[in-house]
Amino acid sequence: MTTAPPFQFPSTYSFPPFFTPQPNSATRTSQLQKWSSLVQSWCRHHRIYRLTLSDAIESPLFYNSALRKRLSMKDARDVLDWMAKSEEEGGGGQRAEWIDGNSKTVARIWWKRPEEWAGIVADWVENTGQKNVVLTVYELIEGEGAMSQEWHGMDTDVMLKSLNVLVKRGKAQVFGGEGQEGVKFF
Amino acid sequence: MFFKPLDLTTALRPALLPDETLLFVQDAVGLYEGKYKIPNYQNGHAYLTSHRVCYVAVEEPRKYSVGIDLKEVDRAEYQAGFLKSSPKITLYPKPPKSTLSKSKSAGASPSRGQSPSISASRPQIQPTPPKPINATWVCPICSFSNPVPSNFDPSTATVSTPIPPCLACGIKPPLATLLKAVITATANREGPATQTNPTLPGTEGSAPAKGPGIVPYPDKAQVSCPRCTFVNHPSLAECEICGASLVATGALKSTKIGSYRAESPAPVFAHNSIKSTEITDCMKLSFRAGGIQIFHERLKGALIQRKWLLYDAPPVPQQPSQSNSMPSPGLTVTSPAIGSVPSPSRSPGVGIAGLEQRGLQARKNNELVIGNAFEDLEALMASAKQVMALAASMRDSGMTSGDVSGEANAVLLESAETMGMVTTKDMLGSGAGSLYISELSRNLAEYLTDDRKGLLNKEGGIISLIDLWAIFNRSRNGVELVSPLDFQKAAELWETLRLPVRLRQFKSGLFVVQRWDWSDEETLRKIQGWMAELRQVPPTEPISWDWRQFGRAVTAQEAAQRFGWSVGVAAEELEMAEDKGVLCREEGIEGLRFWANFLSDAPVVGDLGLSRIALDEVDRPI
Repeated sequence: MTTAPPFQFPSTYSFPPFFTPQPNSATRTSQLQKWSSLVQSWCRHHRIYRLTLSDAIESPLFYNSALRKRLSMKDARDVLDWMAKSEEEGGGGQRAEWIDGNSKTVARIWWKRPEEWAGIVADWVENTGQKNVVLTVYELIEGEGAMSQEWHGMDTDVMLKSLNVLVKRGKAQVFGGEGQEGVKFF
Repeated sequence: MFFKPLDLTTALRPALLPDETLLFVQDAVGLYEGKYKIPNYQNGHAYLTSHRVCYVAVEEPRKYSVGIDLKEVDRAEYQAGFLKSSPKITLYPKPPKSTLSKSKSAGASPSRGQSPSISASRPQIQPTPPKPINATWVCPICSFSNPVPSNFDPSTATVSTPIPPCLACGIKPPLATLLKAVITATANREGPATQTNPTLPGTEGSAPAKGPGIVPYPDKAQVSCPRCTFVNHPSLAECEICGASLVATGALKSTKIGSYRAESPAPVFAHNSIKSTEITDCMKLSFRAGGIQIFHERLKGALIQRKWLLYDAPPVPQQPSQSNSMPSPGLTVTSPAIGSVPSPSRSPGVGIAGLEQRGLQARKNNELVIGNAFEDLEALMASAKQVMALAASMRDSGMTSGDVSGEANAVLLESAETMGMVTTKDMLGSGAGSLYISELSRNLAEYLTDDRKGLLNKEGGIISLIDLWAIFNRSRNGVELVSPLDFQKAAELWETLRLPVRLRQFKSGLFVVQRWDWSDEETLRKIQGWMAELRQVPPTEPISWDWRQFGRAVTAQEAAQRFGWSVGVAAEELEMAEDKGVLCREEGIEGLRFWANFLSDAPVVGDLGLSRIALDEVDRPI
């Protein structure tokens, strides 16, 4: 993973006004969409599932050293807030979620929504003929069979959330206790 | 007396002649010809100027506006309102008593501008060489009527001019008394001249049947003495009571009407417009919303002052005696009877000496004019015309020599010209607050759209209301200043009065003034053009973004410089463009700067759209 090509920033990233909150609402929405996309692709590239804000604003994500422009903590939080809102509320479609509630310092970034993950996992299970087989969640995430898969090394919480989607659809069953979860696909 | 067509300014007010001043304005006025209302002329503004009474209708002012020259008005009568009838002022024309005009109106066809009559009356208007003025002045001490010395010239007279003492009591009169007497006499001066005119060849054609002897005396009319108002028998040449000459008054009337005929436009309007129609009996102004007292008062004043005589008077001759009286400068002022003495030929100046001499002469002349003007206020009024001309020439020379404070000077000097045009509160009735505002509004519109000043163009087509207020008040020379509240109210009226300027408020609350056809789209187009231009120009210093794609940032100062706006206006226009999504902002340590909007996808061409790429990447399965 460390040998992966460096992240390609979009052209807007080197556009100075990108780092200033725009007062015009239409422009602002467009700006937030671009930020949302940037955060998602950044996290996808680096396989980041939870973003710690204090670290992130020092990272190239929120700090363009060439332009010497950065998003302030407040602005970055605004971006994530917007991402956390559903589209009906005028937000970015719940692509982020605050993990620590109101203090808003760490966020989970859904560069794929749990539903999307669930679909991918279910497809993989079907394709590899593992229906009605009991797998542990650890196996699913770190196992050799899933080595080439996108969710490899995924946060356990994220995986469990995704599996819960399948459970609700009646396609899987999760059992076992804390840290020992197993899953059976139907 | 005729209804004359009016020239209206851009703000739909009557265009004033040079030297004409506005005296009073009243709204809700209707016109009557004789006893009858004139259709379409029943609701308008009446403008009283020093030369005319003008009527401008509220609806379709360009179509329904007329003026009447005060010089054709014999008298004005006040008629109080009664029950439903509004108070009125009746204007009686000077009676067309002379046989000259009678023969024309009776015999000739209705079209008045016939070529023979023009050629016939032209010689009459030509200025006759100044003759010794047959004027008298009344001694303020003993009230004896003294003759004005024949060598007295009002245009050159100063306090230092020797004035003969009163013949009865031996006290010297003040200069003002003499000046007034001469000005009054100037009115009568052309009388005797015209009297001799019918004998000239060429005028015979117009009045062939009448001998020159009958001309001055109308048939039955009695002549009232101009000095003591005693009504004399028409055949008397001098007043029975005071001995003043009566010939001049009788002849004057015929002159006025005769000369007027020549200049009235020939074609009668085809449609039922009253323009250029003659008022035979009388015409009335009906004041439906008050203001009649002041109007009447000022009208009377204007009829007595007869400012148009000053305008009609021949231009003040130059001082020809100066070039050769240079060696003895003490004699320069006492140049008597300029007209009668043939002006000595100017010594031909050659080379630098000639130039110097001419410069010296011009300076002397200016000194004299200024000296004359400020010695006495009365004299200032008399020589106002010269001073205006001098101020204008000074301004012009100042402009050409490219001085530093040229702009400020120009504004100040131009104020002299605008003084005649301003509406002041005392020109309007006391209860007419809204009229004052609307007149001020028109006044402002004229001031702004005046091509001579080109105020709006100089400011890039847009000027903030505060700046305009300051400039406008400065041009009033510190008198009759307009309060900010009135000013704003007047500016707000532009829209309703359909004047060619508009008040506009930016989001921040800043008021600006711009032309009515000025639009945001125009501004946006200009800004976009500028932004496109910036994408072509390589930056002077290395930058970390792609200037071919993004161009560079602009500040309000740069925009102000480029478009000629003031900085405040530029900032507002940029924010307006931002509001429309054309620009976006960058806040940095250098302050607020604006960029072409590459954040929004829709209107901007050339942006590849980050979100689209990113989403594609995300969705692509690995």
